[in-house]
Amino acid sequence: MTDHTPILSGTSQGFAFLDLGERLRQRGQFEAAATVALAGLGRYPALADAHDLLARIRADQGEDAPAISSWRAALECHPGHVGALKGLAFLAFRARDMAAAEAHLEAAATAAPHDTTILAALDRVRASTPAPAMESFRLDDPTSGLLLFDAQGMRLTGGVGPGTGEQQADGTAAEASGLVREAVRATRFLGLGAWKQLVFETPVARVALVALDIDASLLVCRPASTPPGRLLASSSRAAEVARAWLGHSR
Amino acid sequence: MTMRQWEGTLREITGIHGVRGALIVSADDGLVVAESAMEGLAMPDVAAFAASVISRAHRTAAAMGSSAPTRVHVTADGGTLYAVAGAEPLWLVAITDATVELGRLRLLLGDLAVVLA
Repeated sequence: MTDHTPILSGTSQGFAFLDLGERLRQRGQFEAAATVALAGLGRYPALADAHDLLARIRADQGEDAPAISSWRAALECHPGHVGALKGLAFLAFRARDMAAAEAHLEAAATAAPHDTTILAALDRVRASTPAPAMESFRLDDPTSGLLLFDAQGMRLTGGVGPGTGEQQADGTAAEASGLVREAVRATRFLGLGAWKQLVFETPVARVALVALDIDASLLVCRPASTPPGRLLASSSRAAEVARAWLGHSR
Repeated sequence: MTMRQWEGTLREITGIHGVRGALIVSADDGLVVAESAMEGLAMPDVAAFAASVISRAHRTAAAMGSSAPTRVHVTADGGTLYAVAGAEPLWLVAITDATVELGRLRLLLGDLAVVLA
């Protein structure tokens, strides 16, 4: 690779340097391809395709930061440049930043709605996107702050959180069943209908008691910093897990 | 606070949509200190049951190794019983139907319980 001046010189051939640079890139001759791209950019600094070519070369060389800079330059020259958006999406995907990859591909799909390769890439990215982190409910873990107990105040499984033992869990189950009985009685006599749940708050904890069935209830203990609505949502999901646990156990 | 001021406070609570009654109860003995209720609600019963639930919540919190409850909220199909601690042994209690604006009630009870303290 010595001199590509003839290719760059004539406008009659269009931007032939782009084709040459792309062929060199595909052959793996990255330095030569970069020389062609940079020479072209020297003459046509506002040509988005030239920045795109240089970015693809840099990406192939594993130089992600310069590649990103070049693709951003392409977008400055031509907002909505599909090649640049796809390139940025590719790098984001490679970096496991699925949200950014999806955003770039959505922008590309808007610019080129009939490009099936973009839609396929979008599907792939979305399929690779991990589900939002879900709270896990481990009933058999005494430190999880989940305590399942029966109507007689006997602990079925679980505990009341870190730093507490079985004795404390058993004592809590005994007292909590009394609290449940009182809540059932109060709601019935006051005409409020069937008891569903009870929450009490202390300066250090928020505690929810949820009715599972006539024979069992679940206590969910969370720090006082837990928003009240989140406690209720969390308790509701934990109750589903507890009902399944009871179903298996009986 | 005077009795008249307490009753004014309770009327603020019953002004919230879905609140059927509000009272100040002595949790030690379940007696009504002041009340504001719609017709048909037996406030002495509400006070007695509220005091009993609060007492049980205290015992449960103690068994857990936690400090004393400052709020107790019982939810049933047709309504709620919501209690917030004021100056020992007083609690501010509201009884509601199922349509209550719970977030607003929660905030107001919290604000008024400070006054009660």
